[in-house]
Amino acid sequence: MEYAILFGVFTTLMLLGTPIAFCLGLASFATVVYLGLPPVVVFQRLNSGVSLFTLMAIPFFIFAGDLMMRGGIAARIIAFAGSLIGHVRGGLGQVNILASTLFGGISGSAVAEAAAVGGIMVPQMKARGYGADYAVNVTSMAALIALLLPPSHNMIIYSISGGGRISIADLFTAGVIPGLLLALALMITAYIVARRRGYPTEPFPGFRKAGHYLVVAVPGLLLIVIIFGGVRSGVFTATESSCIAVLYALLVTLLVYRSLTWSEFVHSTLGAVKTTAMVLFIIGSAAAFGWLMAYLKIATLMIDFMSGISSDPLVILLMINVILLVLGTFMDMGPLIIITTPIFLPVVTSFGVDPVHFGVIMILNLGIGLNTPPLGPVQFVAAAVGKISIWEAMRSIWPFYGAGIVVLGLVTYVPALSLWLPALFRGN
Amino acid sequence: MKARLLALSRILSRLSLIVMWLAGLGLVAMTSVVAYQVFMRFVINSSPAWTEAGAIMIMSWFIFLGAAVGVREKFHMGFDVLLYVLPDSALPWLRSISDIFIFIFAAGMVFYGSELAIRFWSTQIPVVGLSTAFTYFPIIVSGALMCLFIIERMALRLAGEPVDSASVASEITEV
Repeated sequence: MEYAILFGVFTTLMLLGTPIAFCLGLASFATVVYLGLPPVVVFQRLNSGVSLFTLMAIPFFIFAGDLMMRGGIAARIIAFAGSLIGHVRGGLGQVNILASTLFGGISGSAVAEAAAVGGIMVPQMKARGYGADYAVNVTSMAALIALLLPPSHNMIIYSISGGGRISIADLFTAGVIPGLLLALALMITAYIVARRRGYPTEPFPGFRKAGHYLVVAVPGLLLIVIIFGGVRSGVFTATESSCIAVLYALLVTLLVYRSLTWSEFVHSTLGAVKTTAMVLFIIGSAAAFGWLMAYLKIATLMIDFMSGISSDPLVILLMINVILLVLGTFMDMGPLIIITTPIFLPVVTSFGVDPVHFGVIMILNLGIGLNTPPLGPVQFVAAAVGKISIWEAMRSIWPFYGAGIVVLGLVTYVPALSLWLPALFRGN
Repeated sequence: MKARLLALSRILSRLSLIVMWLAGLGLVAMTSVVAYQVFMRFVINSSPAWTEAGAIMIMSWFIFLGAAVGVREKFHMGFDVLLYVLPDSALPWLRSISDIFIFIFAAGMVFYGSELAIRFWSTQIPVVGLSTAFTYFPIIVSGALMCLFIIERMALRLAGEPVDSASVASEITEV
């Protein structure tokens, strides 16, 4: 009965359109009351769930990403990417993906990336005769690369949801190869589609010009080194390096590029507050929900259930992937990580899957869900930038979904793609 | 009556703007505190003891203040699947039901937050030297603001104001 209350109240409220944070909180509240536990525990968890030093990296990385987007770093990275790869068939599509990869290394947010890169690239692509659907689909799928490359705040959410014992440095490192693999798969797909549709190429600007673009983009790109180097070497904690990222972004946009105005700074600050308030409020109420799931031993039930179906980890991972893909079309990434990690992580670890590996699988899987209706925030932003409906974009997104699913399959069944690089770094 | 309601709504609108600015200041303050900590640790080589707990306290203020404004400005993430299926006239009903539930939870934040604050009145947060009760003030204040904003919206809705119309997706926020 208590299970029915916990999940029933949650699902019912969610269907009614109640914001997810409140669905989680109220479901926990109702269950606690039913079980005769003191309701105060829900609110204590709500509070302690957000009072973690590690969590602070989330507002900082979001803040830094927003500052860089508004402060002109994205535009310079796109110019640099354009000089490198614009001359390939369907060049602007390739530029879009390369710029997303580079920008993804300094911002961990797929929505910010779709807005930053798509906002500049999509109008250009349309003007050069690319179909709006193609421009939108390339943008929305390439934005997912940011989720895998450090600094991905969703990986921090995963680490915390997994009990806080999964190393953020390892997760950041583990995402690098899968992120680059996704970039490669999308580039190949974009190239094939562009050839078939006969899209144009851009002239190569010459090495001098390319060198100039590189020099201009370097201050922004240096952030990749600072964040990754700082966290990986253990000199800084993730929180400290995220704070340095904010200061560095301010430094570059104010003093080097001189392109950040006061009103943009205010916009960035308030935008970051809104986003983090929303995300962390969900994390807080999910902490209450998670406490109840632990109290009711739901993970144990899940392990028993799943091992009743199969004892093969490959089958278990396949099942979990399918479940997550389905859930991902309906729900957003952050809440899903928080809710499903405590359920699935104990299952997969009992089958010998490494928690870091599972984190990368989960992030990529739920990332694809950000591009699927009815709830696909990244696709929504990209389609808005391209001024087409989600359904127009959906008509030709299939090859790109295909690329995403192939990479997901590889990441799931070749653990070395995720685990080799962290092991290499740890070895040093 | 309706004119008075709208005047009240304008005051609440200003209140929500002020709260949002306070939260923004909180983010800037938190950045400064952590930056100070990093500076002291790496340059001066002595970590100040209060920065971590202080930054966490600031964070919990701006999260809960921001969350309260989110109730008014509807930037909390929800899932509107029923709206695809039901006729448009169902929207105010769905929103009303949601609002009632949000109100219940917000009232819980005030009530149980106060209970926690009273219970922990005499214990102290290590290092910072404040009563642990302070930890729970953000929940209480946020819950109270949420209740206020929900009552406002319910009243405006009853008065026939278009509180549920479009503009929900006015600003896409991060995932």
